[in-house]
Amino acid sequence: MMLFSTLVLAEPILAAGANGLPYVVPIHPNLVHLTLGLFIVAIAFDIVAALYPLEKPIFKFLAIPATSSGLYDVGWFNMVAAAIVTFFTVAAGFYEIILADPPDDVVSPWGMNATDTMVWHGVGGVLLLALIVGMTIWRGFQRYLWREDRARQVDWSYLLAGLLIFALMFAQGTLGAHLGGDFGVHVTADRLIYSGVNPNEAIDMPLAKTMKDPRVVGSRDFGPGSGPEEVLAD
Amino acid sequence: MFENLLPPLNNHNLPYPDTIHPIVVHFVIAMVLFGVVCDSIAYFTNNKKLFEVGWWNMVFATISIFVAIIFGQLEAGLATPYAAAAGDLNLHTLLGWSLSALLAAITGWRYIIRLKNPGAIPDAYLGMNAILTVIVLFQVYLGDKLVWVYGLHTEAVVEAAREGLLK
Repeated sequence: MMLFSTLVLAEPILAAGANGLPYVVPIHPNLVHLTLGLFIVAIAFDIVAALYPLEKPIFKFLAIPATSSGLYDVGWFNMVAAAIVTFFTVAAGFYEIILADPPDDVVSPWGMNATDTMVWHGVGGVLLLALIVGMTIWRGFQRYLWREDRARQVDWSYLLAGLLIFALMFAQGTLGAHLGGDFGVHVTADRLIYSGVNPNEAIDMPLAKTMKDPRVVGSRDFGPGSGPEEVLAD
Repeated sequence: MFENLLPPLNNHNLPYPDTIHPIVVHFVIAMVLFGVVCDSIAYFTNNKKLFEVGWWNMVFATISIFVAIIFGQLEAGLATPYAAAAGDLNLHTLLGWSLSALLAAITGWRYIIRLKNPGAIPDAYLGMNAILTVIVLFQVYLGDKLVWVYGLHTEAVVEAAREGLLK
């Protein structure tokens, strides 16, 4: 219980509000790991499977038994999982957009303000969800109906579409990076700095407490206890 | 002598536009979790195809974690962690290196299991997967804190650190 409260509840300032969310860290960026990882690996394994004849000697050299049907299984099941997970990714994303309180005087490296970036990231999210679900359905028809008796389970156009979606995902991911990295949306420290509070004082987490009395391991001109705590000037 | 080979650091204190480590870890987090899910479902339903999916996902995760560590070290080195963030950054680093060894060992075990009998996994492997999942989730939580609580490499924190306001 002690561990749970340390890890999950942290300090009151983090548990509610400091990042604009009713929990400690945003959920959407974590589900994004799953969406992108599963989709990209699904396409990657289908490409590897489609080029299997070329790779046969490599797998043999590595002493890894591999069949093209096994590689296609990864392409299919990972794609199905990506489609399922992405509904939750988009849902969590919209929830956290609704609760966002971004600064209006910052411009992203792509020349957009926070609101425009959020709108494009939201539109991009819905578009990518549709594309991922569409790709999954397309993949399913190829696997079980159209190409059931073929050695190559996917059409080249499917793989090409996957690569084009990678490009969209890169743009979408960069917009998301701008929201966190440039606008500080739901970033606790950034929001504290905007309001003139030093994160060192406000983020009073258990680990930080132990850091306030660090073991001396050498010369160190920064860190806790090395000087008076400053409050950020506005 | 090497200073001029990299572009100057930007307002995220990086020689390239945005952090790369959080992108590479997609392929560790998603592949470990999905690999474990596939092996678990396969274990209880005896689904041979899902065993194959579980194995390949673990292979991909193992390759990815070393790339993730390279970028993680680079970006940790440029992170200018302030006092409150330093403890979690150290723990995340320590756990990251440990996870690479653990993940490589588990995938090696998975390789031997698959070589001997591709259609089954021993109970102990499933238990090891459970432990691995817990450590990975804790590591994700620490990484989340570095980005979303401490804001390392965000514009506001980098700016405050450069002005000497945040140490």
